[in-house]
Amino acid sequence: MALLKVDDLKIHFPIHGGILNRKIDEVKAVDGVSFEVREGETYGLVGESGSGKTTTGKAVMGLNNITDGDIYFEDSHLNAKKGKKIDVRNDIQMIFQDPYSSLNPRKRVIDIVAEPIRNYEKLSKDDEKKRVQELLERVGISSDSIMKYPHEFSGGQRQRIGVARAIALNPKLIIADEPVSALDVSVQAQVLNFLQDIQKEMDLTLFFIAHDLGVIKHMCDRIGIMYQGRLVEEGLTEEIFNNPQHIYTKRLVAAIPDVDPRNREKHREFRSQIKEEYQQSFYDYFNEEGLAFNLKQITDTHKVALPERG
Amino acid sequence: MSNQQTEKVVEQKVEKSPSGLSIFWKEVMRDKLALVSLVFLVLISLVVYGVSILLNQEEIVRVDPFAIYEPPSEEFILGSDQGGRDIFGQLIIGTRNSLSVGILVTLISGFVGIVFGVVSGYFGGHVDNVMMRIVDFFMVLPNIMIIIVFVTIVPKYSVLTFSLVMAAFLWMGIARLIRSRALQEKELDYVQASRTLGSSHTKIIFTQVLPNIMSLIVVTMTLNLAANIGIESGLSFLGFGFPQDTPSLGTLLSYATNPTTLEQRWWIWVPAAILILVLMLAVRNVGEALKRAADARQRRAS
Amino acid sequence: MWKFIVRRLIITLPQLLLMSLLVFFMASLMPGDAFTSQVDPSLSPEAIEEQRERLGLNDPWYQQYGRWISNVAEGDFGTSTAHYRPVTDLIWERMINTIWLSLLSVIFIYAIGIPLGIISGRWNDRLVDQIITGYTYLGFATPIFIFALVVLFFFGFTLGWFPTGGSVASGLEPGSFEYIMSKLHHLLLPALSIALIGVVGTVQYLRSEIIDTKQKDFIVTARAKGAPESRVYNRHIFRNSVLPIAAFFGYEITMLITGSVFVEQIFSYPGMGNLFIESILIRDFPVVTAVVLLFGLAAILGALLSDIILSIVDPRIRIK
Repeated sequence: MALLKVDDLKIHFPIHGGILNRKIDEVKAVDGVSFEVREGETYGLVGESGSGKTTTGKAVMGLNNITDGDIYFEDSHLNAKKGKKIDVRNDIQMIFQDPYSSLNPRKRVIDIVAEPIRNYEKLSKDDEKKRVQELLERVGISSDSIMKYPHEFSGGQRQRIGVARAIALNPKLIIADEPVSALDVSVQAQVLNFLQDIQKEMDLTLFFIAHDLGVIKHMCDRIGIMYQGRLVEEGLTEEIFNNPQHIYTKRLVAAIPDVDPRNREKHREFRSQIKEEYQQSFYDYFNEEGLAFNLKQITDTHKVALPERG
Repeated sequence: MSNQQTEKVVEQKVEKSPSGLSIFWKEVMRDKLALVSLVFLVLISLVVYGVSILLNQEEIVRVDPFAIYEPPSEEFILGSDQGGRDIFGQLIIGTRNSLSVGILVTLISGFVGIVFGVVSGYFGGHVDNVMMRIVDFFMVLPNIMIIIVFVTIVPKYSVLTFSLVMAAFLWMGIARLIRSRALQEKELDYVQASRTLGSSHTKIIFTQVLPNIMSLIVVTMTLNLAANIGIESGLSFLGFGFPQDTPSLGTLLSYATNPTTLEQRWWIWVPAAILILVLMLAVRNVGEALKRAADARQRRAS
Repeated sequence: MWKFIVRRLIITLPQLLLMSLLVFFMASLMPGDAFTSQVDPSLSPEAIEEQRERLGLNDPWYQQYGRWISNVAEGDFGTSTAHYRPVTDLIWERMINTIWLSLLSVIFIYAIGIPLGIISGRWNDRLVDQIITGYTYLGFATPIFIFALVVLFFFGFTLGWFPTGGSVASGLEPGSFEYIMSKLHHLLLPALSIALIGVVGTVQYLRSEIIDTKQKDFIVTARAKGAPESRVYNRHIFRNSVLPIAAFFGYEITMLITGSVFVEQIFSYPGMGNLFIESILIRDFPVVTAVVLLFGLAAILGALLSDIILSIVDPRIRIK
């Protein structure tokens, strides 16, 4: 069952200019993206910088103005224009990319983690403190440190505090926007494994945004590949990695280094072969305006943006 | 009970992460000029607010036709003016009045400017555009003249209305500064995070944005205080400041528009001139030290 | 660039409208009638009411505003209640004096500010820079009226080098050499007072701009290519730092206005600022209204001029 459903989402940012500072053009950050995130799974959205993946994530969170399209969570229409906006903030939460700027440097850990609790639940000071301590223990931070400031923690620890804050309201869906890309490689695996543990424990659905295919492969059940504001391919992790169809996906997959040194030569050959194909046929995969085609179903689970042939 | 616990933990905490006050203190100790200024300001405040309670204002402003233009003597430490009024007493009360109005104007204009700036910067876009055009407009006006006109036409003129008129045309600078910082601040992830955690805009402004630009606010307000003391004494000098018969530093200086006083009776205007200058410099020095402390804290906090 | 200029011009229109509305609003708060000054307060209330009706003072405010602004556009500011002369005539004499004072002040500001700023920036942290920085530190905190008083006391009274009031010695033939020299002699102290305080911003701007530019890559490159130091400064640094100063003239107008109000008062110099204070003390509101409006106009147009010049010399500002 789809927990989150994004339907033909478009987010265009206006460019102002001219004499009266009117809108003269727009940047199509997200241009017609549809996908579903099913309950309990980890859905990964991959793409290079500027492909619109973070914009999509923030739109679900309500941080961006949506130009067109619809977002549904469970049965509620998140961006309904008429009527009251439904507050699903306690069901959807977000983990931010930069653990340094996403925690207010002037606040103590207790105030940071308790912020959502204070907004949605009325707890006594004592209960609140207990709750925060529990949450911290759960993400592997000593409960003694509730009075510390963010700068007294390492990047990995900060990201754990960010997670503690995100799970404080027992959400159903967590949007993780490149949660490890700002961290040292040595800490990345730790945080990722810990995220998976939390997911299992709390029965969470994860919407994972990243540019690193290795991370995505490790984490996700299903993957969507984004390129210039459009999805170019979507499928199960195995399908994407073993049977990529779109030229952009092929190139991405080929770019992952092979860990086995014996395959190194083979891999290099494979890579240059893909590169050649990429250079030759790249434009065949996009229409005259340089946009990806609409997704077409090729198996039950696998969709690719291929041109209409014949 | 829990409050006590929290406080205990807070106390432990202070050693680990230096508070803004202790950084400021360090900065002041390093900069001798700021230290002298701070000591001077504390002393002068104690003296003017303390002594002026003891002094009888009516006594001081009462005209004494037998003591006109007395040079400094034992009876009048700093001589007397054209009404035979004691200059020293007027200096004390005048400093108190100038300081009080300076602080009042700084607080009122600061409040208006902060609200205006934060709203403009935080919401951005069209709101910001319109609000900043308004600031631009007020900025370019010949404000001193407009203040003078309002001072003369305002009904029921008093110290409060004077301060309000001044504040009404002096809030733009701080609004601009606060706006540009708020604009930067709201782009930071933790403000966005607050949105996702369900905090309202008002709450974010008060609990996230404002505390983080507090040091800028304190610094700007201190520097504004110095400027406002100058503007107030300037207006009083021209005769559009304090209501008549209320001593102020500017009023004492205005006696020097009489050429004979300027030339021959230095005791009337020189002390007031020096006091205004020193007061403004001292406040400014403390402001600059605060600024450096704020910068140091900024570096530390991230 | 043209886009920027046109946009800037479009912003100026509402500014002018707002400013005139503010002045109108101020004038309507003034006791008596500042617009036409024909209502005589000594008449009986009924007679005043009748007169008000006749003069259209009971019309809605926008009609009154319209009438007033069209009169102003034709150069008619009403009649002074104290001098019984058209305000325009009264202001005209004073305006010329103030224009001379402002002009000389601006010349002094550039003549003092540019060399000081360049020296301070080029040899930063040396003794000469420390002296200049000390001067700007003091100058920034010194209110102009205190400085002007001290200057007047010292050079006017104690040393007696300069006249202590007026704009020209009496009994001289207008247009003669002596007349012009006497005018200049009277102008020197007030203009210097404004300039020595007003120069601080220019010096500080130039200093930091030059120090900034010194470390930029293209300067380092020029040095690395072996360009002599003087050439680096003349060709690269000054061109980048000094040109924007040319545009400051317009922004200075607000400062000059404030300065002229104080300085003209202290030096009893018969200019607009002096006229303003005089008129407000004797409640000659038609004159007050006219002076505020003219100064406001000057300030708004000055800022406009500066923005336009700046957009020509500094391309960065155009992209907005």
